[in-house]
Amino acid sequence: MRSTLSLIQREFAAYFLSPIAYVVLVVFLAVMGGHYWLAFRQLTTSGPVGVEFPWVVLLDGYLFWFIFLLVPPLITMRLFAEERGTGTLEMLMTAPVRDWQIVLAKYLAAVGFYLILWVPFVFYFPILMDLNWNAAGFTLYAKGMVIALGMGIVLLIASIVMPIGRKGLPCLFSLFAFLTSGVFAYFHKNHDEIPVLTAGIDPYPALTAGIGIFFVGLMLLALGIWVSSLVKSQMVAALLSVSLGMIFLIADLMVRLFPPETPYHQIAAYFALPTHFVKDFGRGILDTGHLVLYITVAVLAFFLTVRSVESRRWQ
Amino acid sequence: MITVRNLTKYYGDYPAVRDVSFHVDAGKVVGFLGPNGAGKSTTMRILTGYLTATSGQATINGCDVFWNPIEARRNIGYLPESCPLYTEMRVDEYLLFRAGLKGLPVRDRKIRAQFVMERCWLKEVRRQLIGTLSKGYRQRVGLADALIANPPVLILDEPTVGLDPTQIRETRKLIKELGQEHTVLLSTHILSEVEMSCDSAIIIYQGQVALEGTLEQLKQRHPNGNLEDLFVSITGAIDR
Repeated sequence: MRSTLSLIQREFAAYFLSPIAYVVLVVFLAVMGGHYWLAFRQLTTSGPVGVEFPWVVLLDGYLFWFIFLLVPPLITMRLFAEERGTGTLEMLMTAPVRDWQIVLAKYLAAVGFYLILWVPFVFYFPILMDLNWNAAGFTLYAKGMVIALGMGIVLLIASIVMPIGRKGLPCLFSLFAFLTSGVFAYFHKNHDEIPVLTAGIDPYPALTAGIGIFFVGLMLLALGIWVSSLVKSQMVAALLSVSLGMIFLIADLMVRLFPPETPYHQIAAYFALPTHFVKDFGRGILDTGHLVLYITVAVLAFFLTVRSVESRRWQ
Repeated sequence: MITVRNLTKYYGDYPAVRDVSFHVDAGKVVGFLGPNGAGKSTTMRILTGYLTATSGQATINGCDVFWNPIEARRNIGYLPESCPLYTEMRVDEYLLFRAGLKGLPVRDRKIRAQFVMERCWLKEVRRQLIGTLSKGYRQRVGLADALIANPPVLILDEPTVGLDPTQIRETRKLIKELGQEHTVLLSTHILSEVEMSCDSAIIIYQGQVALEGTLEQLKQRHPNGNLEDLFVSITGAIDR
């Protein structure tokens, strides 16, 4: 357990020591920002045009999906390929850890970075849900409580991200922030109205889209880590896993090309990621069929990665 | 402490190690000698669990490296041949990470890292990025990593390669000191190194053990009483 935790920490911190991570973050933020602007414009336009599901606008379009499918390969390409290239894998594989622990740690670190990629989304929520609050409930104390709570969470995340030697300070500050939040909550408790947020637009598509995005990420990252464990060059790993990801985009093309009720259409529909989001997740429908696909592919790819790492020893 | 029985390793059809058997007693510093490509690194990689033997058996401190790999690896501090390190990490960060990876409890990590940094003269570079360190310092970081969990066995693959004469001398001295607390198996093809820091030596040639014994025993095997002549007479076809 200790070893796995240290490994997750190192792998996660290593992302922020490489320039590629920042490139991915910035490019993805730009694309997301563009789509947010599209959704925002449609939400605020007057007349009979407009949009019912802003999440569909956000998660549709080939530009978005093309960029999105590039992201997991860029996250996972270094995980094993780099270590094999530089030889550091030997240091890792002669440490007293099981192979699956190595794979799991690297995978979880990749998932962590992937989630950070989506953090800016949180700031779109208020607009995309048309959130309103009751001004009477948000007293000075309530505001203080919310702000302190937010700062506490940010500092807690910071203390997790920080390298091993310098966790103390952010950890202490986050504890302090949580305490402050508690104090504010105590002073607020006698107030008549509690702070309430109400959404003008159905908020549940946000939840289903989030779940969909999370599991799609699990699948694509698992595929990426598997490819990375097979090759020695990061470039080859990235290209191969992008091509694997493109299968899902091609399936989407097929869905649009073939008429419904034909076998090609039905088979392609299983793999057509953009359609899954446009038709289901973006509209608040949680289709477990899609989730089963994502999870099975993720589990299979994870298993193959462990085997592929193990097989290194037998060569 | 280290027992190897009939170890064989094939890379495809090529036998890198053929039927190697030897034994290293606790508290000994043993030199693993041989020309390049003799199978030294392969044997060490099998001992550390990086590779799996085609046949044969190896145990470290009673733990079989194949059936009980985690326990066996806990008993080993390993310095690989080219000493690969994460170049983007700082020295102390790296050592703390390795301490965690080797399962040390959080409160022991700092103490052990401090200790090995002092031991391997890394104090002045502790906040430096490993990528900016010279070859000698990197080698020391690798050695510090091997020592960090205080394992009973140290397996060092060519620990002095690429170092300058002063550093070689320091490293040899350190290895000699380490021999008092740890069992050390170190590979090299520099003979003076064996004479200076080892109690006994195993000469390996073309994947097989050619000679094994204490330095005195080995020296008696050749009329000159010179280790270098002995080595060349076993491994070099030109002089024969």
